[in-house]
Amino acid sequence: MRIRELKSREIWVVVLLVYLITCLIPLGAPFEMSDITVEIYEFIDELPEGSIVVIGGSAVFAFDLESSASLIACIKQMHRNNLRIVCAPYGVEAVQFEKYCVDAARVDKKYGGNWEYGIDYVQLPYMAGGAAAYVAFLDDVHTAIATDVAGTPLDEIPLMRDLQNYEDIAAWICPHWAFDMIVRYVIAEKDIPGIYFAQSAAYGSYVPYMMAYPGKCWMTNGFLGGAQYERLEGVPGLGHAVVDSYALMSIVYVGFVVLGNITMYTAREEEEDEIQ
Amino acid sequence: MISTDPWIWLSALMTICSFSLLYGDNPLFRFAEHTYTAIVVGHSVVTGIATLESRFLPLFTGAKPLLIVPLILGLMSLFIVWRRYAWVASIPISIMIGVGTALSMRALIATEILSNISAVIRESALILVGPPVTSLGYLIRVVFTLSGVFYLLFTVGHRGPISKPLSYLREFGKYVFLCYLGLSVGNATMQLSGLATSCISRLINQWLGL
Repeated sequence: MRIRELKSREIWVVVLLVYLITCLIPLGAPFEMSDITVEIYEFIDELPEGSIVVIGGSAVFAFDLESSASLIACIKQMHRNNLRIVCAPYGVEAVQFEKYCVDAARVDKKYGGNWEYGIDYVQLPYMAGGAAAYVAFLDDVHTAIATDVAGTPLDEIPLMRDLQNYEDIAAWICPHWAFDMIVRYVIAEKDIPGIYFAQSAAYGSYVPYMMAYPGKCWMTNGFLGGAQYERLEGVPGLGHAVVDSYALMSIVYVGFVVLGNITMYTAREEEEDEIQ
Repeated sequence: MISTDPWIWLSALMTICSFSLLYGDNPLFRFAEHTYTAIVVGHSVVTGIATLESRFLPLFTGAKPLLIVPLILGLMSLFIVWRRYAWVASIPISIMIGVGTALSMRALIATEILSNISAVIRESALILVGPPVTSLGYLIRVVFTLSGVFYLLFTVGHRGPISKPLSYLREFGKYVFLCYLGLSVGNATMQLSGLATSCISRLINQWLGL
């Protein structure tokens, strides 16, 4: 069978098979640990017990899923260190994503963890308004938002009584897009350390901020960063599965490139023969 | 063991319908596409209404009477759909743009311009310090940043005695941007590949229970 006669759907079948193999049989592909991921991990470990960490930003659930590997491992770490988290969504889909990650980390008492809603973690509702919403939230949380996602007034939630403004926030984690907002209003203006569990496609655009604010702004890169964080926390999950697929898919992609080039040269020689 | 949760079944079927596009356009894919679009729109509307409720609760309880101002401005913005009185909407829209621009400008200068300039200066000083690999990294970052900025500033050709060296620098800046674009495409491919793995992994683990 000639390569040129292959249909795209046949190539996709090969790709699907490779993905299935990596999901069914963990390869344990090796990957390097990043110094920055270690720095983030140690920073979270050194936060005093009871510190409030905000998880927030604007979101697109489908893409944010890439940040879930790092975030779930990080939530487990924060749970282990008795930190408290407030999820502050600035995108419509951020509410679901943040809830998904907290549930997946299995830290609530109903999953056998130690955390209790309202005392150790709170989910706020979507906060519209972009930059203005960030500034208002940091200056006065209770003026910016009145209730949690379930409609309970913030004054009735023990954790929220300890979070009045930016001075009560120990760190800000962004597992979403639009990290620039966090840099501008959280890291630069309020001097709060910021961590970005970046999607691969966003990493390149936002990485200069890490150079601009050394020691105050850190980023992990996509699923690879997630795999690194999972290894540090000792909870291999989606990050490891994806790194496996990267390893195998890279071989397949190189194979496709080689085959494509061979096909192109063969076709060109045939065309030249026909002309002669 | 295969899942008995109807939501996981629904999620799995929608995932398979979405992936069916790889075989070619078909009714299953279109069903998944339309369902997804409808859910996103519906969810946004419901979230919008819920947001209004949570935001304006202190107004209705009398805790924050000043919230009447944004409520009136919000109602004024609805006039945009009424051609005769559309000018009413221009007031809240202009306030929104004014506040947004002011907030952005004060932060943009600090984070996008000053902090990046100071980062380049700081990293220039680090080129001669530390192990060679680290120094090379700093050197590449500084040279690439300056070349990229140079390319943007001198995109239009310069005529004069130094036009030749300038053109070389501009050309180099162009390749810096190509490097960036190449890296961006590579990163985007990694992202999509990873997301595909997460979808298939969910099918296998949560749905089929393998």
